[in-house]
Amino acid sequence: MADRGSPACVGCAPGTGPCGGKGMETLRSGVWITNPVAVQVLGICSALAVTNRLENSLVMGVALVFVGVGTNLFVSLLRNVTPRRIRMIAEVAIIATFVIVFDQILKAYYWEMSKQLGPYVGLIITNCIIMGRAEAFALSNRPLVSMVDGLGNGLGYAVVLAIIGFFRELVGTGSILGHQVLLSEWYTPNQLAVLAPGAFVALGFLIAIFNALTRANQTDEMGSQ
Amino acid sequence: MKKGSLYAVFYAATLGIICALALTAVDGFTASRKAANARAEEVRNILTVLDVGFDSAATSSELLAVYERDVRTESRGELTFYTYEHPEVGKLSSVRFDGPGLWGPIEGLLCLREDMTTIHAVSFYRHEETPGLGGEISSDAFQDQFRGVSILGPSGVPGVGVVGDGADEPNEVDAISGATMTCDKVEEMLNRIIEEVRAGGGFDG
Repeated sequence: MADRGSPACVGCAPGTGPCGGKGMETLRSGVWITNPVAVQVLGICSALAVTNRLENSLVMGVALVFVGVGTNLFVSLLRNVTPRRIRMIAEVAIIATFVIVFDQILKAYYWEMSKQLGPYVGLIITNCIIMGRAEAFALSNRPLVSMVDGLGNGLGYAVVLAIIGFFRELVGTGSILGHQVLLSEWYTPNQLAVLAPGAFVALGFLIAIFNALTRANQTDEMGSQ
Repeated sequence: MKKGSLYAVFYAATLGIICALALTAVDGFTASRKAANARAEEVRNILTVLDVGFDSAATSSELLAVYERDVRTESRGELTFYTYEHPEVGKLSSVRFDGPGLWGPIEGLLCLREDMTTIHAVSFYRHEETPGLGGEISSDAFQDQFRGVSILGPSGVPGVGVVGDGADEPNEVDAISGATMTCDKVEEMLNRIIEEVRAGGGFDG
């Protein structure tokens, strides 16, 4: 997708500017056109596991943006000196470093959240979105535009998680970010939404809506998939 | 640039060292806060099992203040008890216990009432058991069963039972279906701490 040619970024002539004219396209592609969760269906494990509350989803989204931007920057900076044979080992080392840094900061400054997210922050090390973007984009692009790509994909993941988290928390507990918004006199929380099956149902609906809106995964536009 | 094996080894080593240094720096930077959080967590567990009222949104330092105001530590024999004068049920004494679970270590607190034979509360605050099965030991439903249970059997033999065929003795609670191994191990570690309490800790003070 990075190699598909690059329409000009708003304000930049084609092929110029700090992102080589690819900034806006790259960002839009990560958040919308090739959204990592809703279109590529990557990173599903954590997307299903942590979205029972909106707050958890948001922190997980921030984690992915942080790791995605940091990893893409360093993988891109080192792309010309990294031996090809061990590039994946190098990528995992960089990813792991960023993930552990985030996890440590969470443990120190946001202890309750760290307990709630449990192992899922650490498991970002094996998140296919991060590794995928490092391999597919950062290895063959310049640092700045690689950071934009990490930001776009991290935001794409964060937005999807926030939407799922919003609806699961609302339906499952009648509250948003812990504040009761649906009154208990007339609303009975539906526990299904906060349990694992609720995550599958919510994600299914979201992917369907995303596909209908972006018309992604349609053979006439994207080639057969 | 020639990218032979030697270069790859050198590159991997350098990258590894840089990553390790970065992580060491972050660890050093956050160490004191992490230690404070761990201490607050420990204090929260003790306050919970002793039924000391505290605001659930309290910060680490507020929890420590409540702990220092209301909770005393007493060494009896080799055991350290955390005691609290409960306004309704009298003096409560709690003691830590631990032991192997099915997948990893289990740690908890046993809280006894003034007579030192009636359980006030049991809490399993750290475990790695299967969520939904053995993991249910930390659920309120399982832990609340221990309230008011005696640590003496009908014939006066010390020990509690976590039984699968219906708890009908004053020292028995119901086991969790599908978590027989975890329940057996929980019973074992509870009986070990009860034995230690009976043997020295609980009765000479």
